[in-house]
Amino acid sequence: MDGTTAPLSANEHIKQNSNFLRGTIADGLTRVETGAIADDDQQLTKFHGIYLQDDRDLRAERGKQKMEKAFIFMARMRIPAGILTPAQYLAAEQVALDRGNGTLRLTTRQTIQFHGIIKSNLRPAIQEMHEAMLDSIAACGDVNRNVIASVTPWRRNGHDAVTQLAEDIATHLLPKSRAWHEIWIGEERVAGGVEEDEPIYGRTYLPRKFKIGVALPPSNDVDVFAQDLSFIAIEQRGRVIGYNVVVGGGMGMTHGEPETYPRNGDVIGFCKAADAVDVAEKIVTVQRDLGNRSNRKQARLKYTIDRIGLDAFVAELNARLAVKLEPARPYSFATSGDTPGWMDGEKGICHYVLRVENGRIHDLPNRRLLSGLHAIAALGIGRFIITANQNLVLADIPTDRRAEVAALLAEYGLDSSFGGLRRNAVACVALPTCGLALAESERYLPDLVTRLEGELARNGLAETDITIRMTGCPNGCARPYMSEIGLVGRSPGLYNLYLGGAHDASRLSKLFKRDVDDDAIVAALAPLFAAYATDRQTNEHFGDWVIRAGIVQRTVTGLDFHANLSPELRS
Amino acid sequence: MPTSPQLPRSAPFAEDQIAALNSVFSVTTAEQRAWLSGFLAGMQAANAPQGVAASPAAPPARKVPLTILFGTESGNGEALAMQARKVAAKLGFAAKLVDMADITPTQAAEARNLLVIASTWGEGDPPQRAVDFHEALMADGAPSFEKTRFGVLALGDRAYAQFCEIGRQMDERLAALGGTRIADRVDCDLDYEAPAGTWIDAILGKLNAETTADEAVTDEGASIIHVDFARPVADGFTRAKPFQAEITAHVRLTGSRSTSDTHHLELSLEGSGIEYEPGDALGVVPHNDPALADAILGAAGLAGDTALRSSLVERLDITTLTRKQIEDFCQLTGARVPEAGWETGRQVIDLLDAAAQRLTGAQLTGLLRPLPPRYYSIASSRKSVGEEAHLLVAGLRYTSHGRDRAGVASIDMTARHRAGDRLNVFLRPNTHFRLPADPNRAVIMIGPGTGVAPFRGFLQEREAVGAAGKNWLVFGHRNYLHDFLYQLEWQDWLKDGRLNRLDVAFSRDQPAKRYVQHALWESRHDLYAWLKDGAALYVCGDMNAMAKDVHATLLRIIADQGNFDEAAAKAELDAIRRDGRYLRDVY
Repeated sequence: MDGTTAPLSANEHIKQNSNFLRGTIADGLTRVETGAIADDDQQLTKFHGIYLQDDRDLRAERGKQKMEKAFIFMARMRIPAGILTPAQYLAAEQVALDRGNGTLRLTTRQTIQFHGIIKSNLRPAIQEMHEAMLDSIAACGDVNRNVIASVTPWRRNGHDAVTQLAEDIATHLLPKSRAWHEIWIGEERVAGGVEEDEPIYGRTYLPRKFKIGVALPPSNDVDVFAQDLSFIAIEQRGRVIGYNVVVGGGMGMTHGEPETYPRNGDVIGFCKAADAVDVAEKIVTVQRDLGNRSNRKQARLKYTIDRIGLDAFVAELNARLAVKLEPARPYSFATSGDTPGWMDGEKGICHYVLRVENGRIHDLPNRRLLSGLHAIAALGIGRFIITANQNLVLADIPTDRRAEVAALLAEYGLDSSFGGLRRNAVACVALPTCGLALAESERYLPDLVTRLEGELARNGLAETDITIRMTGCPNGCARPYMSEIGLVGRSPGLYNLYLGGAHDASRLSKLFKRDVDDDAIVAALAPLFAAYATDRQTNEHFGDWVIRAGIVQRTVTGLDFHANLSPELRS
Repeated sequence: MPTSPQLPRSAPFAEDQIAALNSVFSVTTAEQRAWLSGFLAGMQAANAPQGVAASPAAPPARKVPLTILFGTESGNGEALAMQARKVAAKLGFAAKLVDMADITPTQAAEARNLLVIASTWGEGDPPQRAVDFHEALMADGAPSFEKTRFGVLALGDRAYAQFCEIGRQMDERLAALGGTRIADRVDCDLDYEAPAGTWIDAILGKLNAETTADEAVTDEGASIIHVDFARPVADGFTRAKPFQAEITAHVRLTGSRSTSDTHHLELSLEGSGIEYEPGDALGVVPHNDPALADAILGAAGLAGDTALRSSLVERLDITTLTRKQIEDFCQLTGARVPEAGWETGRQVIDLLDAAAQRLTGAQLTGLLRPLPPRYYSIASSRKSVGEEAHLLVAGLRYTSHGRDRAGVASIDMTARHRAGDRLNVFLRPNTHFRLPADPNRAVIMIGPGTGVAPFRGFLQEREAVGAAGKNWLVFGHRNYLHDFLYQLEWQDWLKDGRLNRLDVAFSRDQPAKRYVQHALWESRHDLYAWLKDGAALYVCGDMNAMAKDVHATLLRIIADQGNFDEAAAKAELDAIRRDGRYLRDVY
């Protein structure tokens, strides 16, 4: 499995020959006969935050209609720490209405995805976002993705610190290529100018995607153990003085390939706040140099670390750092979810945590999110902060405007409360747009939660916080292996059921049932809820109880994720 | 009574022969006479010595000249003009056909005898190719027609308020300019055949009687009877006697989320002998919606009359409502005549429902016009598909005055027929919308929506014959994802190099509406260059919105790229049109 001797993967050649991410994208946009772009360009547009997809609901009918697949693009913004001004939110809304499918999708990387953009609308969409000072550079691709940070504006100093670090890292690791500006905005290429270079990434960028998060304990809303690199803020007398560094987390795996696995990150030390950006850069360069460029299924940092060993990795890192890592400092997480409702901030300021089911902003009959958020944004106050749980925090509302905002929330049906399972539910997009989906996710999880809520209520657990996450494929965008209940699509209607993740997302889960459908999921969980209700200790979370009760084995590291299964699951 | 065709006394026959022939002709139908003329011409052509032109044994006859001037959009006017020429030729006139597109009023005023067949299109407009003639005739500087005898046959559609407006204007204008009207104008509705035939026979009979030998001139072509072999349809299938074509494929092309409902139909012409050319249309004889027929019978108090019901379904126009029908109905029933314009957006059922009068079956059928056929541009080439014709049909549904309405033929074809069923069709040639004779000439095809149909036929044809000319298609519709008709076929032709260029405009994909004329304007540099290089330009589709906007945009492009003022740009486009390189099939 040494990436240095095996032949390079196809993507490495595409990157190498792309002229710093240009490829033939611009030419492809002019070809009106097809809604798609060239195969190689489909890899390159990811670096520009853009995926080619097709509406899978329409696949069956297209062939007969003498039309190609219903090709549409997904465009993902780069929004470090998820912070938007109300004006930026309104601009995004307008893009969704004019250029996309009329909805906005908040994601687990604190950004906005637009779905359903046809090719002729791509440039206008990107340009209209650019006019609102937003871009989509490096929102996907083998590069540092959108940097996420805890959303805790009610703790002003700490939040400002983690936000600032997220923005500094995002800026520092931004590709230097002007390809995005040339292709999408129409920037002229300077003739005879200095030759382009990527001082951090190099011409072939990283072996694979790279994800960074910054957490402010006790909130682990950014899932620090599921990122390639995380920083855990360490406070002293109310000020963030530095960060514990976590490396090697990652969710993606492939069904039936046990050499692929989710892995929770390792805490490898502490750095001062001023050194954090340098730590990020050097970890990126280690992965750039040592990551596997032959096999994309072994290319994430987590596999690099398990291949060379954690100690060797840290030694290599320290050799590159100006200031070596110090021993990790104590920290403590309590939760990974968001708590909907009003939060008081410093004097004169308050915040509202708005639950956005599945992150999808659209109007439903009794919950008109799109219209309601438009009305609130039109007030022009505060900030709109997207959380890593796909929710939205209306931050920095002056207390004297709170009643006004509350009235709008009520008017549009946005102030209803949710049970303990639903407020902790996260689903990826999956069908019909994601090309990887094997099963439904966003369109199914709400109904499953409704059924499970019935079982929970029967056992007096309606208000108990339990995390449940679903993805349509094993790549795990919604980080299902980190939740107390995880469901991962296998084929239409069938899921693998995982249990035993920690409530604060500090422990991986374990496979409990394979290939279960809706009824079987409910049938599997109902008796566990009943037993948990009677057997649980004070404040014992469901994810901890299933391990204590022996329902599943505890997963300690990614390498034992596939091990210690119950006998009937061993194949 | 139609005037019977009579041989003129000048005919090259003995007196008793003339009498004998006249006695036969007097009982012939138009169809029999047409057959006979074709038969005789065919005989003559077949018996001509090889390599030697058929030459008359007798010296050229002296004949009275007659100009038959027509302005047409759908081709009906031209077909009638040809019919008139045949009748005139038999009466001994030296008749020539002239398209209004190819003549000025000054030239027309030279004619001693002038038959005008004028179509009105849409809301009282002249056919596009007759616009200039009409404008010049109505203008202050129009010439005197003092030496001209004339008569006008007006074609129109009573469903439009300005019924036969152009014919009416021309008739009055020619009289005002000093012309002598020798027959009253006849205004024809969609069922024009019978009244038009009567008018043609009558006016020519009258002219024949009034003209004198001294008007006659030597007719160079007099010894050869003019039969336009390109024109008559040899297969024998007509609107009255259509071919029952089996539908071999019936596929909806637009997506399930489309706002349009467009279908691709493949019809088998096997055994019909129907030999169409790309650009031709198929006439479809539809059936009405049986549910609507029942509603009408119910409203008239005639429910249960099965014979009447089948007439309503198969034979009569039970949708279109004209002012005349309203007036007739009110006279019949004593109902109050609704205000002018009440009929707009309404149909026969609205009239019957509004008044709730019991009618007799005869009263009801007396009110109704015959069910007209509908014409669809053929979307295939026989050289590519063999004995098949493909049609592209957009099912029309809309709501007006609180009722759901459905296009008669389009819904009949798309919703009430499926693969395996048969459809009544006949060929209607469209000689004004043919590919260039020169296979090396480039073509630019502008066909949004179902207007793209003939261009699929064009491309199939050019592929089949290996035409080297370049091909440029401009297509438009509402949504790229759901309405890109024949997308995969265009892709294949682009890949092959058969289609050299494709531009598209989808109106509803973005905030600002985008139509084919916007795509043309963006490509104006290349478009003008293609035209300069001799490309032929074709436009097919909606007349009122699209074709007018495209025409205006072409003028802007020529002005912009050729650095012309408005008048010069117009002259340039006219020249292209007269050169046969700006052809339209609009409806």
